Amino acid sequence: MSTEQQVKKLDGKVPKGDIKTLWENYKFDMKLVNPSNKRKFKVIVVGTGLAGASASATLAELGYEVEAFCISDSPRRAHSIAAQGGINAAKNYPNDGDSVWRLFYDTVKGGDFRAREANVYRLAQVSNNIIDQCAAQGVPFAREYGGTLSNRSFGGAQVSRTFYARGQTGQQLLLGAYSALMKESSKGKVKIHTRSEMVELVMVNGKARGIITRNIVTGEFAKHSADAVLLCTGGYGNVFFLSTNAMNSNGSAAWKAYKKGAYFANPCYTQIHPTCIPVHGENQSKLTLMSESLRNDGRVWAPKKQGDKRPANEIPEDERDYYLERVYPSFGNLAPRDVSSRQAKYRVDEGKGVGKTGVAVYLDFRDAIKRDGYEVIKDRYGNLFDMYQRITDENPYEVPMRIYPAVHYTMGGLWVDYNLMTGAKGCFALGEANFSDHGANRLGASALMQGLADGYFVIPYTLGNYLASEKPNEEKVTVDNPEFEQAMKEAKGRFSKLLSINGKRSVDSFHKALGHIMWENVGMGRTEKGLTSAIKEIQALRKEFWKDVKVTGSDSGINVELEKANRVADFIELGELMARDALARHESCGGHFREEMQTADGEAKRDDEKFCHVAAWEWTGDDGEPIRNIEELSFENVHLATRSYK
Amino acid sequence: MSDSNNMTLNLKIWRQSTTKDKGQIVDYILEGVSPDMSFLEMIDMLNEQLVAKNDDPIAFDHDCREGICGMCSMMINGQAHGPEKATTTCQLHMRSFKDGDTIVIEPWRARAFPVLKDLMVDRSAFDRIIEAGGFVNVNTGNAGDANEILIPKEAADLAMDAAACIGCGACVASCKNASAMLFVSAKISQLALLPQGEVEADQRALSMVEKMDELGFGNCTNEAECEASCPKDISISNIARMNRGFLKAAITSKTK
Amino acid sequence: MSSSTQSISHNYFLSSVVKKQIMAVTGLLLCGFLLGHLAGNTLIIISPDAFNQYGHALVSNKPLLYTAEAGLIVLFLVHLTMAAKLTVENNTARPEKYYIKQKTGRGSTFASSTMPYTGMIILIFLVTHLINFKYGTVYMTTINGVEMRDLYKTVMEFFAQPIGAAWYAFAMVAMAIHVSHGFWSAFHSIGIFHNRYTPLLRKAGIAYAILVGAGFASLALYGYIQGVQA
Repeated sequence: MSTEQQVKKLDGKVPKGDIKTLWENYKFDMKLVNPSNKRKFKVIVVGTGLAGASASATLAELGYEVEAFCISDSPRRAHSIAAQGGINAAKNYPNDGDSVWRLFYDTVKGGDFRAREANVYRLAQVSNNIIDQCAAQGVPFAREYGGTLSNRSFGGAQVSRTFYARGQTGQQLLLGAYSALMKESSKGKVKIHTRSEMVELVMVNGKARGIITRNIVTGEFAKHSADAVLLCTGGYGNVFFLSTNAMNSNGSAAWKAYKKGAYFANPCYTQIHPTCIPVHGENQSKLTLMSESLRNDGRVWAPKKQGDKRPANEIPEDERDYYLERVYPSFGNLAPRDVSSRQAKYRVDEGKGVGKTGVAVYLDFRDAIKRDGYEVIKDRYGNLFDMYQRITDENPYEVPMRIYPAVHYTMGGLWVDYNLMTGAKGCFALGEANFSDHGANRLGASALMQGLADGYFVIPYTLGNYLASEKPNEEKVTVDNPEFEQAMKEAKGRFSKLLSINGKRSVDSFHKALGHIMWENVGMGRTEKGLTSAIKEIQALRKEFWKDVKVTGSDSGINVELEKANRVADFIELGELMARDALARHESCGGHFREEMQTADGEAKRDDEKFCHVAAWEWTGDDGEPIRNIEELSFENVHLATRSYK
Repeated sequence: MSDSNNMTLNLKIWRQSTTKDKGQIVDYILEGVSPDMSFLEMIDMLNEQLVAKNDDPIAFDHDCREGICGMCSMMINGQAHGPEKATTTCQLHMRSFKDGDTIVIEPWRARAFPVLKDLMVDRSAFDRIIEAGGFVNVNTGNAGDANEILIPKEAADLAMDAAACIGCGACVASCKNASAMLFVSAKISQLALLPQGEVEADQRALSMVEKMDELGFGNCTNEAECEASCPKDISISNIARMNRGFLKAAITSKTK
Repeated sequence: MSSSTQSISHNYFLSSVVKKQIMAVTGLLLCGFLLGHLAGNTLIIISPDAFNQYGHALVSNKPLLYTAEAGLIVLFLVHLTMAAKLTVENNTARPEKYYIKQKTGRGSTFASSTMPYTGMIILIFLVTHLINFKYGTVYMTTINGVEMRDLYKTVMEFFAQPIGAAWYAFAMVAMAIHVSHGFWSAFHSIGIFHNRYTPLLRKAGIAYAILVGAGFASLALYGYIQGVQA
């Protein structure tokens, strides 16, 4: 078959050598840009979350001309801000046996052996620098009475390596990166474009040389040229419509890059977070996550009887199934996210779900309050309990919380090599937007770590190496190159098309329909049958969208419906790719669970013979079938083993 | 969720097509509002109906819908973020209202926050203030080991209290003088309380206050409506701390 | 900070923070003056002679008198001009008003939200006060062989009229309201805040407001009753 001949074996460009010294040696081997030449290079950074803000600030400090773009009214709004729990680092301050090696090991294992070892090791190495940098910026991390930094155990880790700032770690780290960004903006080294959405990536002579943006306030399109483009645009969890992502989080920038030659890696790896507040009704717009630190003290259970409609407190002890403690005696309630989520789904599938909808399980603090007292629990989780009560109108001090998994994070993303460069030369992807470090499942408190590692400590080196070797500035590309006009025309055409359809269905109704297909078939349990039908349904939905979507208003000025339509159009295509990827990966690993591939006791069963690789999809045109390229993964340091949390 | 609890609301919403447009209050009647819905989901529902009638949906800022990004910004019945204490608009639920209620919804109003459309305002003035000095001048790579800086827990906690600000602008919106003192003082306080930020504390206070004044915010009259409307309970003690720091800096400043 | 800060000269003393601090310091000094004024006035109750002798002593030391008067005028004028300037700025900070605006009930108080109005009442009162007393009818009296102004008579004549006493008492209530917010607020503006002591300071402000308000007003009442009995 012709497509099979086209399948590429991608090279992750990992330098050779001992993993422990790889990054250090590589940094030395990389080419440097002369300080006085740095200002001659312009870098576009799309997105100003942890990865984007930290990259923009650091590159500007080094002397590059940076232009940063965000869709919100301020860089500070990026969804990194919502991360609650914390950030990991291998500081070993608590003296409990942590090390770079252990963090590396845990992350590779936690990712179910589907991440690139060298990237993960580098991540673990720079994790310590991140904490130093953030503390120096004035991030108010939690402290002990002696004035040193406080650590806690998080997300099932057996060492206390998580640094935190109350339940607002993401906010504080983002504000730290944002302040660094504003510092450089005040010096004129970064130009920030707010309420600007990237709508095209511009390639000139095979290199990414700029972007087309649409101003959300005026509706105007603009061309921006640069020597490199960094996409720091986060994940695509909103494919599911309901997720814990912010309303404006979208996959469009990554999708544009995909269509310009970047590969989309492992799109099916989705993290479904176990401790979210369940769906309440049809008009629900998004889901709210509660920090999984709650599982440190809360006990997860469901009634033993099917359809038990008694209020939680009336169900006697021996009729409760503390299923995580039962199934995973050593990890208990702290079992990893994918495992815990799936177990909750099983209870609901067995008809043991609770609450009005029957789609929830309990997270109970009764025993913790009895053991530690009301005050201690209030001190630990007070703001989370308040949040829960505000949303559900129930008091978790008195009745157990109802929780259910929700889409939270996407491990998949743009394929990048060791330098964080995508398949489109000169276009880099950082943070959640790339696929690199979490494999098939991300551990708690690792997302913040990765976003900042990429932005503060990786890209400043690898981008310099690219610019010094490729010397793109010598090609004298400006926005007057015809490629920019062509890209602008395409972007404008797409928006006019959306406005001209004038159909009957609202954008949201399409998005909800897509979300429904995705959640049912590409959610926590995936089957060949479900995935095959999902692909067909999504293709039909896509046709219908372009025939019948209704976008009110005009292309000038603020038009929220138009913005959404543009993003939903991409989500539909991305959803299809996710289903294809899930179908092709005939194994279960981490967040990807194929029901055909499980052990006798219902655990994920990997197929290392056939699938110990990254699937990096290549676009072949609007109507062509995408090509599934692969990058082989080898595990020389952490040996392939079955992940067990029993 | 049960239909019997559903409410019918009379909404009076500010509509304004552009910054230059004059704008006016427009009346809407919305039926079938569930008490479990969030305030923004209620607006979503209205928008869905407007789109169905080919009307322009109401533009409003929102993003995370979990009370942390600071995007949402509505004046609800004359109160910033509505009637509940320490609650953003996105976290306000319709159970705070009754069937038949009239709800007036307006954008933040301040000279420094021009309306862009309907309920959306331009808060970039806050970015300009942070740019004036709301940071510690430390480049990536300059930091020593994090535990080399010891910070008393009390100071770290106070700094965190101030740092919890989400930059939503409710303080400006609720202040009768449209003053940004709470926002500015929260950042100045956070950094002044920590040894990392203390080095530049004087210059920071001077620069940020100067920028705030230049942008056309009003003055503080110590009424504490900002604190009372703040979704993150930021205390006006930060304003006092800023006042003290500013005075000291202004007297001892070595620049002209 | 921004690179421009080194080259441009800055007038920090016209910043919003310092303007408020000038309000605060002048306000606090005026509070001190009020206390002294009240202490002197209570001599009315002790005896007419004591009051007249006190008045005479004050005006006899011309250098001190003029310095004090000049000081007071400066305090008032500065307090007043700053107030006017701040109020105008505050009004322009929100050109388009809200369709409806409601207080949270957790922040501002009646006193805090009426500062410009109670301030205006005090200003008007101040003018009438000077006209009625300092520049009012001059009676003379001789005490212990020294001829001096019988200010007691001027004051008591004024208080004997119901309108006079009522206006005076009304203005004193306004002043009490004004200082009940102004007192602690002044400390806040100059940066004095403490979780433990600020609440005490707020109480002290109220106590002070009651003391001066009730103190002055009770003198008016005393004068009125004396007048009725006479």
